[in-house]
Amino acid sequence: MTVITKLTTVELKLLAREPGSIFTILIPLFILVVFGSSIPPGDTVLLPMTLAIAVGLVGLYQLPTTLATYRERGILRRLSTTPVRPGSMLAVQLILQLVLALTACALLIAVAGAVLGAHLPSQALPVAAVFLLGTAAMFAIGLLIAAVAANGRTANGVGVLLYFPLAYLAGLMQPVDQMPDILARIGAFTPLGAFRQALHDVWAGLSPDPPLLGVMAAYAVIVSLAAARFFRWE
Amino acid sequence: MAVIDVAGLTKRYGDHTVLDGVSFSVEQGEIFGLLGPNGTGKTTTVECVEGLRRPDGGTIRVLGLDPIGDGRALRERIGVQLQHTQLPENIKVWEALDLYASFYAEPRDWRELLEQWGLAGKRGARFGKLSGGQKQRLFIALALVGNPKVAFLDELTSGLDPQARRATWELIKQVRASGVTVVLVSHFMDEVEELCDRVAVFDRGGIVATGSPAELIDGVDAEHQMRFTLMAGDASDPIALLSGLPGISGVTRDGDRVSVTGRGDFATAVTSALARDLIPVADLRIDKRTLDDAFTALTGRSFHL
Ligand SMILES: Nc1ncnc2c1ncn2[C@@H]1O[C@H](COP(=O)(O)OP(=O)(O)OP(=O)(O)O)[C@@H](O)[C@H]1O
Ligand SMILES: [Mg+2]
Repeated sequence: MTVITKLTTVELKLLAREPGSIFTILIPLFILVVFGSSIPPGDTVLLPMTLAIAVGLVGLYQLPTTLATYRERGILRRLSTTPVRPGSMLAVQLILQLVLALTACALLIAVAGAVLGAHLPSQALPVAAVFLLGTAAMFAIGLLIAAVAANGRTANGVGVLLYFPLAYLAGLMQPVDQMPDILARIGAFTPLGAFRQALHDVWAGLSPDPPLLGVMAAYAVIVSLAAARFFRWE
Repeated sequence: MAVIDVAGLTKRYGDHTVLDGVSFSVEQGEIFGLLGPNGTGKTTTVECVEGLRRPDGGTIRVLGLDPIGDGRALRERIGVQLQHTQLPENIKVWEALDLYASFYAEPRDWRELLEQWGLAGKRGARFGKLSGGQKQRLFIALALVGNPKVAFLDELTSGLDPQARRATWELIKQVRASGVTVVLVSHFMDEVEELCDRVAVFDRGGIVATGSPAELIDGVDAEHQMRFTLMAGDASDPIALLSGLPGISGVTRDGDRVSVTGRGDFATAVTSALARDLIPVADLRIDKRTLDDAFTALTGRSFHL
């Protein structure tokens, strides 16, 4: 087995043993099921909201907390004394967190489609494109948190502090049409807001608004560059 | 040829110079100790040698390789136990060993290490559930799993109880017997005296002396004491008899008990003077000189701050 396969296997087991990753999957599912019973058939609002929540939780909590904890415990440093570069661990973590986000979203879509009779988009390509851009933007923020937080606890705290305002502006706490207009407009310029809105567009059968895609891409690129600039291995 | 050659190693953190021209070499197959009080730069030194930190000056060669330039090749050949490091809470003992073994081209069979380091019963236990001593043994096993030519062990027995320390020492001797060169960082005198073939003694700024523990102890002319008890009713006057002898700086008497302070090999002078005057004594004791004394003599301050 190659090193990367082995590292991925072990890290996958660790992720599965982590209560946080279970919650990341269960929280959006819980919201979907609780509110899903009262939605009209063919609804295009609730499912995109819960998908954005799932990706937001992975990007803002799971990813930064794991990486900052690994640095705090000297695990990245210990790796750099072996022939394996600590960058491999970073790559493996990114892939696994992506798998976590995909799993959570697949589960949401399956439950929403099969049980709640929610609307599912007919075209896969725009969905995939929006999902990847939104995930890239949220992961970039997670990486920046991991880069600047002194330890796992701080990373977790910063994640919490950022999650609530971002989720509110994104229209994840209440539907956007019930939010003050100005906040809804600002929300479209936040990564999570652009993500939710673009998902909503795709669900409604529209093609995603290019400015929304631009917002997500801009966050993904600029924030990851900042994260790379500030990242410390120890 | 030396396994490790360090010449003129300098390291600064900001404007604080921790190492100012440190030089030493480590020979094949020995246990080499880095001994010194907290904060004197021992960890900084080994981590420069391992290629983890970048020196500000000097040259380092390990197995003929430059730790920065030839890092990849070097890391294949060394094993490291870091002073401050943990594993993920939920990783199992066997998973950690199996994972680290996969990092190296020619690893050891980790199952053997598991047996050897007394972890076989903990094979499936999670790291977070291990005792301090078990964690420490796992770290050492991880340092050896890549089949290294040189093993670096930083504060190998801190946090262990006396019995576990002794057991660890025996295992480290086995590591040396298997041909691995060991670099041991420690601030325990007894550990270094027991294990190390040679030691570099650190004080602020770098190394103040290098040699075998015996050489270091003999090399410093520290005052030490010898004690004996006179037989009951003995009327002789040891103070008058011994005071003038070479090397002796003081003789005190408390009832039958006499203690003599001096330098060098004054004990021989004392015993021959007693024998010449046919003075029988009991409980003759010479305080063993230790590395502690050597350190105090070398630096002018006590090791334990
Ligand atoms: N990364 C760093 N940045 C700034 N200062 C540092 C850093 N690492 C060590 N120091 C300082 O350098 C000095 C030497 O530290 P080092 O850890 O090498 O000592 P040590 O001999 O290993 O001590 P100990 O016995 O406590 O482990 C200390 O004053 C420490 O505070
Ligand atoms: Mg140290």
